[in-house]
Amino acid sequence: MMTPHVLDQLPLWIEGDLAAPETAALEAHLSQCPECRRAAERLRDSQAWLREALEPPFEAPDRQRLRARVMEQICTGATAKPGPRMPLRRSLLLASAATLLLASLIWNLERARPSRPVHPGLPAPLSSAMPPSRPEPTPQVSRPRPAARPSRARSPESPPLAEPARIEFQTSDPAVRIIWLAQAKPPSEPIQTPLEAP
Amino acid sequence: MLQATEAVLMEEGLSPLLEIPVADPLEQLVRRVQGGETEAFEGLMLQTEKRVLSVAWRILGDRHLAEDAAQETYLRVFRSLPGFRLGEPFEPWLVRIAVNVCYDLGRKRGPRAVPIEFLELPGEAASSAEESFLLQQRRTLVRQGLAGLPPGERAALVLRDLEGFSTEEVARMLGIRPVTVRSQVASARAKIQAFCARLMAAPQGGRP
Ligand SMILES: [Zn+2]
Repeated sequence: MMTPHVLDQLPLWIEGDLAAPETAALEAHLSQCPECRRAAERLRDSQAWLREALEPPFEAPDRQRLRARVMEQICTGATAKPGPRMPLRRSLLLASAATLLLASLIWNLERARPSRPVHPGLPAPLSSAMPPSRPEPTPQVSRPRPAARPSRARSPESPPLAEPARIEFQTSDPAVRIIWLAQAKPPSEPIQTPLEAP
Repeated sequence: MLQATEAVLMEEGLSPLLEIPVADPLEQLVRRVQGGETEAFEGLMLQTEKRVLSVAWRILGDRHLAEDAAQETYLRVFRSLPGFRLGEPFEPWLVRIAVNVCYDLGRKRGPRAVPIEFLELPGEAASSAEESFLLQQRRTLVRQGLAGLPPGERAALVLRDLEGFSTEEVARMLGIRPVTVRSQVASARAKIQAFCARLMAAPQGGRP
């Protein structure tokens, strides 16, 4: 007399996920049962098709591009780990990033004001005709890092003048998060931020 | 690159050769990154990026999304590395982060039964047009079947059957019990098979 069908165990058996005694019993049944054998064949096929269809499409240049993008972000300090051996460098990086973020924020606020001249107290190149992506570093920032990208910061898109703009910048140190709150003022007053203007 | 890095270490009197031999070949690199040697992270990527891209693509089913996921994975890994416990195997930890990133990105993408890429039929060399068509049709079907699985089953199947991790490793990566992994992969294998059988048995009306 034949043992009961083993259809519900086949998906484990097909990849060797059954213990030895279960495997032996199942295979004994298979040797007697054409129906379960056919089901096992179908599973074997579909597992082979799965592996064939899911072969990843990536090549060496894709991996190289990924590596370059990650290393760029890491090395520019946008996500730089606080290295205990380089506190000075880190603070410079943060200062550079702060300058860039501040600059792009100010640029946004300036842009929202039609035909206002650039405030004299602001860093020089922030003309409203210039894109915010690469502002010149101020003299105090001795190590400009062009790739400390503003895109790493979560900046609200063109904040309305009435509301304070908020920019958060997560450093690699989970304990250090830089937050700017900036309120657009009447043109005669300088824009205030918690940071001193460089 | 790595040589230059070692030279720097030597200059600073921190020879990497003084380390105790470790089982995980990646641990040496992890140690160096933890010690502030950012450049060593590139070595970690070189050793693991194939895996991360593959996991991401198989789970997300979209090439560009997978590349974004891989990038985000490594940035998260870099930020979390100070908290990584040496002695723990690095790759499962990395894959776990990758899976979480994929879940996040998948949620952001929103519910879409079948990712666009899995529906594409890229032309590939085959011995005849008909063979090529059938092969592509089958690939598309299988990918649709995988994409239609519940996320937990999909991740378990990808890690166990496609990435080749053991049931216990998959359980640790997904934070579930091994017995759950077993039932998930069994269910997933059966569903993929049934999905293919149903659609491939159907008369193929759309042949060229
Ligand atoms: Zn049977």
